[in-house]
Amino acid sequence: TVATAQEKIGLRFSAVFSEQDIRAEMMKRFAEAIGEDFDYQGYYGGTLFKQGTELVALQRGNLEMGNIAPQDMSNQIPAWSVLTSAYLFRDADHLRTFFESDAGKEMTQMVEDQLGVKILGPTYFGSRQVGLNLDKKISTPADMAGVKLRMPGGDAWQFLGSALGANPVPMAYAEVYTGLQTGAIDGQDNPLPNVQNMKFYEVMKQIVLTSHLVGYDLLTISLDAWNKLTPEQQEKVQAAADSAIEWSTAEHLKREEELASFMKEQGLELYKPDVDAFRAHAQKMYLESDLAKDWPDGMVDRINAL
Amino acid sequence: MPLARIGQFLYRRAENVLAILLVVMFLAFMAQIIFRYFLNFPIGWTSELTVITWLWLVLWGAAFVLREDEEIRFDLIYGAVGPGVRRAMTIVFSVVLLVIYLFSYPAVLDYVTFMKVQATAYMKIRFDLLFSIYLFFAAAVIVRYAWLLWGAIRSRNPRRRDPEHAGSSL
Amino acid sequence: MSLADPFALCLVTIIALSLLGLPIGHAMIAGSIAYLYLAGLDMGTAAEQLLNGMYTSYILLAVPLFILSAEIMNTGSMTERLLRFCNTLVGRFRGGLALVNVVQSIIFAGMSGSAIADAAGVGKMMQKMMTHGGRYPASFAAALTAATAVIGPIIPPSIPVVLYALVSDASIGYLFLGGMVPGLLMGLLQMVLVVWRARRRNFPVEDPVPLRQIPGITIRAFPALMMPVVLLGGIYSGFTTPTEAAAIAAAYAFLISALLYRTVTFRSTYQTLLSSARTTASIGMLIAGALVFNYVVTVENIPRTLSAFLQGFDLTPTMFLIIVNILLLVLGCLLEGTTIILIVIPVLIPTAQALGVDLVHFGIVCVVNIMIGLITPPYGLLLFIMTNIGQVSLRALVRDILPFLYAMLASLALITFFPDLVLFLPRMLGYQG
Ligand code: NA
Ligand code: NA
Repeated sequence: TVATAQEKIGLRFSAVFSEQDIRAEMMKRFAEAIGEDFDYQGYYGGTLFKQGTELVALQRGNLEMGNIAPQDMSNQIPAWSVLTSAYLFRDADHLRTFFESDAGKEMTQMVEDQLGVKILGPTYFGSRQVGLNLDKKISTPADMAGVKLRMPGGDAWQFLGSALGANPVPMAYAEVYTGLQTGAIDGQDNPLPNVQNMKFYEVMKQIVLTSHLVGYDLLTISLDAWNKLTPEQQEKVQAAADSAIEWSTAEHLKREEELASFMKEQGLELYKPDVDAFRAHAQKMYLESDLAKDWPDGMVDRINAL
Repeated sequence: MPLARIGQFLYRRAENVLAILLVVMFLAFMAQIIFRYFLNFPIGWTSELTVITWLWLVLWGAAFVLREDEEIRFDLIYGAVGPGVRRAMTIVFSVVLLVIYLFSYPAVLDYVTFMKVQATAYMKIRFDLLFSIYLFFAAAVIVRYAWLLWGAIRSRNPRRRDPEHAGSSL
Repeated sequence: MSLADPFALCLVTIIALSLLGLPIGHAMIAGSIAYLYLAGLDMGTAAEQLLNGMYTSYILLAVPLFILSAEIMNTGSMTERLLRFCNTLVGRFRGGLALVNVVQSIIFAGMSGSAIADAAGVGKMMQKMMTHGGRYPASFAAALTAATAVIGPIIPPSIPVVLYALVSDASIGYLFLGGMVPGLLMGLLQMVLVVWRARRRNFPVEDPVPLRQIPGITIRAFPALMMPVVLLGGIYSGFTTPTEAAAIAAAYAFLISALLYRTVTFRSTYQTLLSSARTTASIGMLIAGALVFNYVVTVENIPRTLSAFLQGFDLTPTMFLIIVNILLLVLGCLLEGTTIILIVIPVLIPTAQALGVDLVHFGIVCVVNIMIGLITPPYGLLLFIMTNIGQVSLRALVRDILPFLYAMLASLALITFFPDLVLFLPRMLGYQG
């Protein structure tokens, strides 16, 4: 039977990504797959809730679904900061394997218990790579010394900049292009799709494939909304999320490969540095820092072993 | 009358706070620029401090410092009508505003206190404390409009605005 | 949409409360809370949207800083020196003081982001000088002062441009550049008009400034003339973000007032700060109200619905811009411009984007519209201010301002049909649009 608008279950979804983003298409596929029982309303571009405020909106029942950054989780659950650290996940596959593992289930259970939010899965959106407007060849963290690297605002991001051996500079995302052009900053770190969207490649000379952070958010649904569903509906929602996420991840990987060749055509130099040297340096800095004091014991090792 | 003197004294202090908030915002900007470009050492807390002072400046100013004739309003009608009609208009909008702000106060309080679960990125100020200014603001607006209502009922004529005080920044 | 619809009731509440004379910020907050209640939503969202909106809108911080620097410049003797400098430039021609009035506004526009600040500050002085001894009719002086003040926020820096950048996510830096040519174009048209009328009405000339005094006058005005260079140089060299540049501008104004012009006392500084903070709070309340109301508009999907609706008409970008111009000119007669930028323009932006209208071009067209609204009856704020300062009747003022209004409309048409007038400079400095 087809439910009328009144009987349908409302699912308001808010995210920062734009309506043209691959992930908006992912949500469209999700909405189609969950079918007639639901009234899905997607708000993109941060128009309904500002970036970083969606989690509280979920918790307070002002939103049913969101695409939440792991950093926002760690703001309320310090143990989660382990999942925001650099050189933790090797790639999108490793990320997915983790969230399906026991260790991953422990972490998502924490969110359910403490925040009342259910995680449907990790939405991969690209690995962060360092892009520079310098000629200098980078192979180890030592080569990054003194490089003014723009990082997003906030302690954790600035620390990540230092963990790469650079001199982190907080700067609004919208100002980065001019910053690179004028030399106010020497570089930025973003996934390749962002580099293309914002045309950063026009004002950069090289991309160091550090893959220092596997970028992902978490497709979530408030526990209140989840618990109102019948087991069949829950199964349908989870299955729809799984296949939409899988599609989106594959799209992003394909896009990253295309963009790597595109950037080369644009005359940029792309190369892999000594990633092991970067990983060793970064993990060491993290574990020695205050940031690691809340991390669950042995979590890094368990993730490394996966 | 001592009560009026106390009121005057408190009003001056509220003005002091407002001016200080702007000075702090300005100095934080200076610190940010100096640290980034001259000492090549970026500090994140300055940009956090500037947005905090901006938020507080607006709500503090609107709650405790702005006079009625400084607020931006549509006064094509309000400015043209006679004192009697203006009184009636004041009574109507004050009642509506009071009902809505009083009725929604518990929900607003609930939101602000909920925000204790998060803290700012650099200075780790709990958001319930940071956002508490809204509670003061809403309470001050309620008191102010109760006072305006009382005055209008007691046949005090609302003042006409000085057009040079056009509250606009355009 | 029936009257029982929460959104309709929200609109009715806001409009009714505003017409009754409640400050518009409160009217928008109250109407939005009413909506939340009627739609069965959490009323705490009003506070949530207001607080997070203010807290995350970093670029808005340029607003108090631009207000502050304009105030500092209005209080020091800087304006006096500037006027003397303008007089050496154009005073000797027929209608010299009227030309000074135009040039003064062009220079002031490079330092201040506000038309009101020009009219109520330097404008007051210009009015006095022009009408002293009956040299110019008071209504003409007032009309000219109002019309020239309008250039202020079109040439960078500009408070309305900052507000537009907030709602459109377009780059402030490129928007600032985009306003440069249109602003200068308007100034030029005003000068042509003044010269033409000066001939016909035989306006007086000023005594030419002796040649040997010119270097001294120029040197004394020089630091103030450097203000736009400091401001724009900071932004385009990448030394500062636009918001930081606003802080630098305020610091620069303060420093030259204190060190070179020596007009700064503790007391005057405090008064300047306080008065800027008051203006900030007042405009901030309007922004706050708009943030809350925009949540309602978003929940109701208004921008998307409008975009879909308008796309059904197969509009060309130019047709769309003409419609927007007419809409904004009409609204500009009725509403305060800040409200239009914060409430009406966000609803139009998705359509502009869908039609491929460049958002920097669109922004400048909108801002010029808003500025024209300041001198159109019945609700032109600059008209109110100048009737008061000049002690002239609204009728006489409107009669004398009409030629300037037509010139402004002609400029608006030019920049609407020739986007290159706006986009030429930004593109030269790397804009991709
Ligand atoms: Na002028
Ligand atoms: Na300006």
